[in-house]
Amino acid sequence: MTTAAAPALLEDTQLSSRAGGLYRHQNIVTGLIGGIGLGAIGWALSHQFLQGSNWGTDMVVTVTMAGWVIGLLLGIGAFNAPVLWMLGHDQTHEDELYLAGVGQGPRRYWKFCTDHKVVGVQYLIAVFTIFGVGGTLAMMIRTQLVSAHSSFLGANAYNAIVSVHGMAMIVATIIMVTGPFGNFIVPIMVGAKDMAFPRLNALSFWLLFAAVPPLLATFVLGGVDAGWTTYAPLSVQAPPAMDAFAITILTFAVSVTLSGINIIVTVLTMRAEGMTLNRLPIFTWGAVIGSALGLYAMPAFMVGMVMMITDRVTGTSFFVAAVGGSGWLWENIFWIMGHPEVYVILIPPVAAMLEVVSTFARKPIFAYKVTVGAFIAIIALSIMVWAHHMFTTGWAPDLNGPFMLTTELISIPTGIIFLCVIGTLWRGSIWTRLPMYWAYLFLWNFIIGGVTGIYLSDVPADNYFHGDMFVTAHFHYTLLGGAMIAAVAAFCYWFPKVSGRMLNERIGKVAFWMVAIGIQITYFGMFWEGFEGMPRRVAYYDPIFLHANQMATVGAYLLMAGFVVLLYAIIHSWVHGRPAPANPWHAKSLEWMVPTPVPLENFLVEPVVTADPYGYGEPEPAAPAAEPEREPVPVGSAETTAGEPV
Amino acid sequence: MTTTTIEHGGTLEPEGDGHGVVEGGGHHETRAQRHLKERIALWLLVGGDALFLLLELFTWFYLRALNTNGMWRGAACTKANACTDGLGNPITSEIPKAGITYTLVIAALTVVAALLVWWAEVSAQRQSPRRIISAGAGFALLTVLVAVVVQCYQFGQLPFTTIDGAYASSFIFFMGTTLAHLGLLVFILTGLWVRARRGKYDGGHWFQVGIIRFFTAWCAIVTCVLAATVILFA
Repeated sequence: MTTAAAPALLEDTQLSSRAGGLYRHQNIVTGLIGGIGLGAIGWALSHQFLQGSNWGTDMVVTVTMAGWVIGLLLGIGAFNAPVLWMLGHDQTHEDELYLAGVGQGPRRYWKFCTDHKVVGVQYLIAVFTIFGVGGTLAMMIRTQLVSAHSSFLGANAYNAIVSVHGMAMIVATIIMVTGPFGNFIVPIMVGAKDMAFPRLNALSFWLLFAAVPPLLATFVLGGVDAGWTTYAPLSVQAPPAMDAFAITILTFAVSVTLSGINIIVTVLTMRAEGMTLNRLPIFTWGAVIGSALGLYAMPAFMVGMVMMITDRVTGTSFFVAAVGGSGWLWENIFWIMGHPEVYVILIPPVAAMLEVVSTFARKPIFAYKVTVGAFIAIIALSIMVWAHHMFTTGWAPDLNGPFMLTTELISIPTGIIFLCVIGTLWRGSIWTRLPMYWAYLFLWNFIIGGVTGIYLSDVPADNYFHGDMFVTAHFHYTLLGGAMIAAVAAFCYWFPKVSGRMLNERIGKVAFWMVAIGIQITYFGMFWEGFEGMPRRVAYYDPIFLHANQMATVGAYLLMAGFVVLLYAIIHSWVHGRPAPANPWHAKSLEWMVPTPVPLENFLVEPVVTADPYGYGEPEPAAPAAEPEREPVPVGSAETTAGEPV
Repeated sequence: MTTTTIEHGGTLEPEGDGHGVVEGGGHHETRAQRHLKERIALWLLVGGDALFLLLELFTWFYLRALNTNGMWRGAACTKANACTDGLGNPITSEIPKAGITYTLVIAALTVVAALLVWWAEVSAQRQSPRRIISAGAGFALLTVLVAVVVQCYQFGQLPFTTIDGAYASSFIFFMGTTLAHLGLLVFILTGLWVRARRGKYDGGHWFQVGIIRFFTAWCAIVTCVLAATVILFA
C-alpha cells in the first residue's frame, strides 16, 4: 500500500471479495444459531449425563446457559482472531477494514464490528432495550401495589419481577454512559482514531448481548425470588432460574471489565498531541474513573457468583451455615462490589452532565482539578463503606462506627462535585436548551437523594429505616433521579453527533416535564410509605399504606409515559429530524470539531490540542481542514441557528 | 481546542521510531505504541485478577476463622462424634487434610514455565529468536500441560468432595482457579510456540514475548500464593 494511492476517506476503500474471511459469513443470525445450537447441545448432554445427581437440574441450566454464551460468541465471530493468532496467522489490513465495517452499510450494526462508533450505537440500543424491560417490570410492580391485596401478580411472580427489575436496571445503569458514549465519544474527545483494542471493544458488547437472554429466561425457570441482592441462603435455595441469573452476572462482569480496560488504555495511550491530563475533558475523567472502579467491583461480583454457582451445582458450602459456610460471607462479597458499583453508575453520567453544564453556561468547569480530585476521593472512599449495608445484620457491630464515618465522609467529595456544578452555572450566560433542562432536574433530584442517604448512613436512623420503602425511595432518587437523568442530559447533548440529526426539543420538553413531575410524585410517595414503616419487597401490605402506594403508582405511570414520549422523540428525530450541523452547541471539545457523520477514523486531519476544552469567550476554533463533500456534513457554524450565544 | 492540518488518509504511516508499523483494528500504529497499550492493559487485567485472588483468600481465611459447625476440615467431626446439620442429622465424618504434594508440584511446574519464557525472551535478544523462543515456549507449554494433568489427577485423589464442608469447598475453589490459569497459559503458550516457529518474532519484534512472560510470571505467583495458603494455613 502506498500513500499515493490513498483514498480520501477510509470507508470509501474498495475491498476485495475475500476481505474479512470468515467474518463475511458471520452476523447476528449465525450468532443466534451458534448460541441456540451450543445451548441445545449443552442441554442434551447435561440432561443425559448429569441429570441423575442431586443438583441435576441446576447443572443442566448452568451448562445450557454457558453453552448459549459461548455459542453466540463463536457464531458472531468473537473467537476468530484469537484462534487465528494461536495458529500463527494475522489478519490482513483488508480484514481489519472489513471488521471496522467498510463497505457494509447498515449491516455492520448486526455484526461483530470494531468501529467504536458502531459499538457505541449498539450499546445505546442495548441500553434502551434493557431499560424498556426493567421499566415494564417496574410498572408491573407498581400495578400490583396499587391496592393492598391485589391479585394482579401473586407473591412468587412479584418476587421474581422485583429481582429481575433490580438487576436489569443495575446492568443498564452501569453501562448507560460508558457503553454508548464511552465508546462513541471518548476516543474522539481525546483525539484517537478508535479504541485501543477494537476487537475487545466488540467483544464487550456481544458479551453484554449474550448476558441478557439468560436474565429473561429466569421467568420460565421458576423465577429468582431472592431479590437483586440474591442474599444467601435464599439464593442457594432458589429455583433453577438462579443459575441463569448467575450466568448473566458472570458474563456481564467480564464485559464490563474488558470495556473498562479498553477505555482506560485508550485515554492513557491514545491522546492527541497536546492533550495533556490537565486538558482532558471532564467526561473523559469520569469515564476513566468509573471504569477503574468497575475493575475493582466486577471481580468481587465474579467471585461471589462463582461460589454461588458451585454451592448450587456441586454442593459446596460457601454460604450454607449448616455445612460450614456463612451468609455473611455473601453479604460482604456482594457489598464489596455493591457500593463501589453505585459510583460506577454515578460518576460517568455526572461527568457527562458537567460537559453539558459547561457548554450551555458558556463557562469553564468551575474548579476543574478539584472536581477530578473529588471523583478520585469518591472512588477511594467508596471501597471503604460496604458494611453500611449490613448495620442491622449483626455482622461486626464494633465496625458500625467506622463504617458510619467513612460513609458520611463520602458526602464531602460528593458535595464538592455538586458545588462545582453550581459554580459552573453561577453567572454563566446560560443557554437553556433541552440538555440543560435535564441537568437542572439532576440537581434537584440528586440533592434529595444525597441528603436522604446521609440519614441512612447513620446507624441509629438506619436501624429504623433499613428494609423499608424509605431506602427504595432514596436509591431511586439517586440512581434514577440522579444518574439516569444526568445520562439523559448527556444523551440529548450528544444526540446530534451520534445520529446526525437534531433532537425534537418540543416533544423532548413535554417528556421532560412528565418525567420531572412523575419522579417527584413516585418517590415522595415511597418516602411517605417508608416513614410509615412499610417494608420493601412485599406484594401485599396493610391498608394504612394504601394512599401512599396509590400516589407512587400514579407517579410511576406518569414517569413511564414521560419516557415513552422521550423515546418517541428520539425515534422520530433519528428518522425525520433536521440534519445536525457538526457543532450545533458551539462547544469546544474535539468531538464537535469532526464532521457529522463522523468518518471511520474520526479525524481527517490529526488534531493537535493547544488549549483546554472549556475556553468559552475565546475565538471560535478553525473548522477542520480538507473537509470532503458528504451528505449531510454541514460543518462549522454556517447552519447553526441565528441568535444562539457563542 | 485547535487542529493542525496534518494529512492522514488511512495508509501505512512512516516508522516513527524505527519499530515498524503494525495493524490495530484497521488502524496503524508503531510497535512501541502497541507494546505500551498491551502492557498497560495487562497490568489492569492482572489487577482485576489480583482482586479476584484476594477475595478468594478472604473467603479462605474468613471461613477458616468462623469454622462454622466445625466444618473447617471437619476437625471437630469424627465418626464417633459426627457434625450435624441444623436438624440434627449427621452430615459428615472426619475429613482428612488434602495432600500437599500435588499442589507443590503444580506451583513448581508453573514457576518453571515462567522461567522458561523469561529465558526465551532474554536469550532471543542474543541468539536466533525463532529457535530460542520456539524452544522456550515449547518446553514451557509442555511443563504447563504436565501441570494440567497433575491438577486433574489431584481432583481424583482428594480425600474429600465438594460436599464435605467449608475447607473442602475452599480447597477445590483454589484448584479451580489454578486450573483456569493453567488453561489460559496453554492457549497463550501454544500461540507463542506456533508463532515463533512461523518466524513471527524474527527481526527483533518480540514484544509479545515480553507480555506473555509477564502473564506467565503472574500465573506462577497465583499458583504459589494458593499453594502457600493451603499448606501454611490449612
